[in-house]
Amino acid sequence: MNNPFAGDNTRIQRRETAARWALRMGSYTVVFLTVSIFLFITFKGLPHATKPGFLTELTSTLHVIESKSGEIIQTGPAQADAMKQKLGDQFVSEKTISYSGGGILGPIVGTALLVLVSVSVALFLGVCCAIYLSEYAKKGKFLETVRLAILNLAGVPSVVFGLFGLGAFVLTAPVLTNAPADRAIFVIPLGFTNLSFQGWDTCVLSGGFTLAFVILPVIITASEQCLQAVPQGFRETSMALGATRWQTIWRSVLPFATPGILTSTILGIARAAGETAPIMFTAALAFKDKLPWQKDLPPLPADAGMFAHWEQSVQRFLGIFTESVQALPYHIYTLAAKIPQNEYSEQAQYGSVFVFLILVASLAATSIWLRIHLRKKYKW
Amino acid sequence: MPPASPTTPGPFGSKLLRKSSRSMLGMDPQKIIKTFFGANSGITIVVLVLIMVFLLREGAGFLSTYHHELEVYRKAGLEFCDIADTPLKQQQQLTSALRRAKASAASDEAKRALGDAEEAFETAIEPADEIVSELKTHATETKELANEFHTLEVGRLQLLAAAYSTSDPTRKADLLKEAELSKVDAPNYEERIAAVIDRREELAKALTDYTTVLGTAAVALPDAVADVKTAVPAHIAEVHAAVKKLETWSWQEPVSFFTAARSFFFGTGWITNSSWQDFYGVVPLLTGSLLISLVALLIATPISVSAAIYTNQFASDQEKEIIKPVIEFIQAIPSVVLGFIGIAVVGDLIKGVSQWEILSWIPGFPIQERLNIFNAGFLLAFMAVPTMFSLAEDALNNVPRAYSEASDALGATKLQTVFRVIVPAAISGILAAILLGLGRVIGETMVVLLVAGNRIAIPDFGDGLGVIFQPAHTLTGIIAQELGEVSRGSSHWQALFMVGILLFVISLSVNWCARTIAKRFEHPKA
Repeated sequence: MNNPFAGDNTRIQRRETAARWALRMGSYTVVFLTVSIFLFITFKGLPHATKPGFLTELTSTLHVIESKSGEIIQTGPAQADAMKQKLGDQFVSEKTISYSGGGILGPIVGTALLVLVSVSVALFLGVCCAIYLSEYAKKGKFLETVRLAILNLAGVPSVVFGLFGLGAFVLTAPVLTNAPADRAIFVIPLGFTNLSFQGWDTCVLSGGFTLAFVILPVIITASEQCLQAVPQGFRETSMALGATRWQTIWRSVLPFATPGILTSTILGIARAAGETAPIMFTAALAFKDKLPWQKDLPPLPADAGMFAHWEQSVQRFLGIFTESVQALPYHIYTLAAKIPQNEYSEQAQYGSVFVFLILVASLAATSIWLRIHLRKKYKW
Repeated sequence: MPPASPTTPGPFGSKLLRKSSRSMLGMDPQKIIKTFFGANSGITIVVLVLIMVFLLREGAGFLSTYHHELEVYRKAGLEFCDIADTPLKQQQQLTSALRRAKASAASDEAKRALGDAEEAFETAIEPADEIVSELKTHATETKELANEFHTLEVGRLQLLAAAYSTSDPTRKADLLKEAELSKVDAPNYEERIAAVIDRREELAKALTDYTTVLGTAAVALPDAVADVKTAVPAHIAEVHAAVKKLETWSWQEPVSFFTAARSFFFGTGWITNSSWQDFYGVVPLLTGSLLISLVALLIATPISVSAAIYTNQFASDQEKEIIKPVIEFIQAIPSVVLGFIGIAVVGDLIKGVSQWEILSWIPGFPIQERLNIFNAGFLLAFMAVPTMFSLAEDALNNVPRAYSEASDALGATKLQTVFRVIVPAAISGILAAILLGLGRVIGETMVVLLVAGNRIAIPDFGDGLGVIFQPAHTLTGIIAQELGEVSRGSSHWQALFMVGILLFVISLSVNWCARTIAKRFEHPKA
């Protein structure tokens, strides 16, 4: 039934619809762009990433050999000479493309190690900080300063973190050594050895610590939210039964917050794996033909005792902290910016980008999915 | 059985009580735990302070090093040569413009006329050119002497410092002796500069002669090269200005620290690894950073704000379940991947589109470089969207329900409610979101390093809006690109840390602004 008093409002309605569609366009442009980037990388990268050896070989130089029959052979540096001999006078030309051959095992291992160190450090510091903020802190100067510091830390550009890591961890952090370097700021003699503030050099440890501070604000904020989400009644019940503050936190708060904290940690992992600028000067190398635990050590004399062998193994193992590594984001940067572009370098580029994107995206997706899942499971 | 009184607890109770009242180092264990967590959260403050300390430690020496370098630049006479060199460089531009005109001239006659003019230009400048290049060689020698002396002097001071800190008398004597041996005289600037000053008159005369010849030659220029013809009077005025500057120039005029600071913050040239003189002026980098951020904000703001309004006010639950995770997912895309996409796809796309005929009205089209400010700004906008979206959505969410209910009750349409009531109420939060997006964009490194084109020059604002299709370099990009290649403690290294300090300050102030705005217009929680 028509309302006889209603004015003509088709114009208004049309405007409503138009505005609604304009706003909808904004959202869907972003969605469309994201999906198309993802599909494009998958389409271009998947064929290269699934080549045999791409995930299990170390990076090397790519040799492209052309024969007279027009056949093009792509091979690594080890087989290039043999291939040329085999071709004999069929050989026409050879091109070498740095960093584009082999696989990306080195960068994957490097990124994994960096993430391991950074997340362990950031998780410890972040969760402790969040516990303080959520359970202990009382309003005051200290709390305000901490909150301000977290906010500002989240806004510091990643390249400035890189500079900080270079100044602090690479050039200044303390090491135990018998022979302090000249550049040490000061040396504390400990009797059997010296504590020398000479830095850790570019290595996994420096890069990992730098990354840890990059993701620290993310982890603190997320953990605090999870702790706050645990109902106040849990704490009150526990305290009413005579438990101490710490017992309450340990038994009645943390168990319920842990799943959430771990979920947000995954997002921290994705962030740490994706950052390039902080590791540029602190850990990453453009090229390395060894895994971090395959360090060259002088061969032992034949009569070396067990202790010497054991010591060398330990030293090799410690290489996972004290060696500089290739990292996936830096590898992509090298491939994209430091070598001339052609069809062969493109293969390595798209392959690495695809693997990297899938790695990071699956982490992020897991985190987002887990969060939705947990939200449904823990409803108080 | 007597009841266990609190003063004399039973065997079981006593154990419990003892456990809880045990003290470590005279402190309550609960207190220790609390202090432990408090100390951990204090680490955030410590890290922020340490960032400042380490940036300052490596960068603080910059002003004095740069001051010293500028002092040598003046005393050795390099500055003098540069004053004379500016008009010479202009002259080269004019001649090459003539040469281009000659190459494209139609008739032989025009070619000959232009050729003659070009030759006249060249011969007129020759005497001045010769003098300047001789002076340059001389000045470079002086500079080398000065640098050598400086290195030796620093070494000697180190030896002396070591000598005074050691307690072993023989070693002390040795060190002192060594220091004495490495002592050299400072280069005699006065004597060296005399050779330059002596030729001042000659140079001024050569330049003045050049202007008279040029003036007559310019009149004879054919109209085909009108741009050169009009540029000549300005050029002549420039030469006269340079001559005047040369006459008043004095090598003894002291270089103040203020000059060094000004040369860093307002200097228009970032010239490094040059055999002549390094300059560290951040203006080209700052302009690049700001232009890119501006482009990014202009693209990202409408998209993310409209997406936030749509998702918060209009979208159905299913739509929300698509839009929100996807936008959150963007945050996880590593910046280096976006940079790579900029190189591999967006660059060619923009360049291809710019060659379409129908778009030729857009300033700057067709574009020359596929890596440019717009490309970088576009990708950075994409990166800034999640930050701005989620913060803006939070702001919209925080608007008390009563506001929209009141508006509905008054008979407003949904659109009216959203744009006249909810958005104005959330405007402070939205502004803060935009500012925090700006903070993220300014600090981003990998995208600009890969995509902005890395040309260290102030973009040419002459083509109006077309400026956004030129390559540029940025504050973040320069650190990432150059820090790996400089030796520790050199002026270049210190300059890069100074750029880091500048970035740090910029990001802190952007953060502070965002917070202030958000706080200022906070509405009461309903």
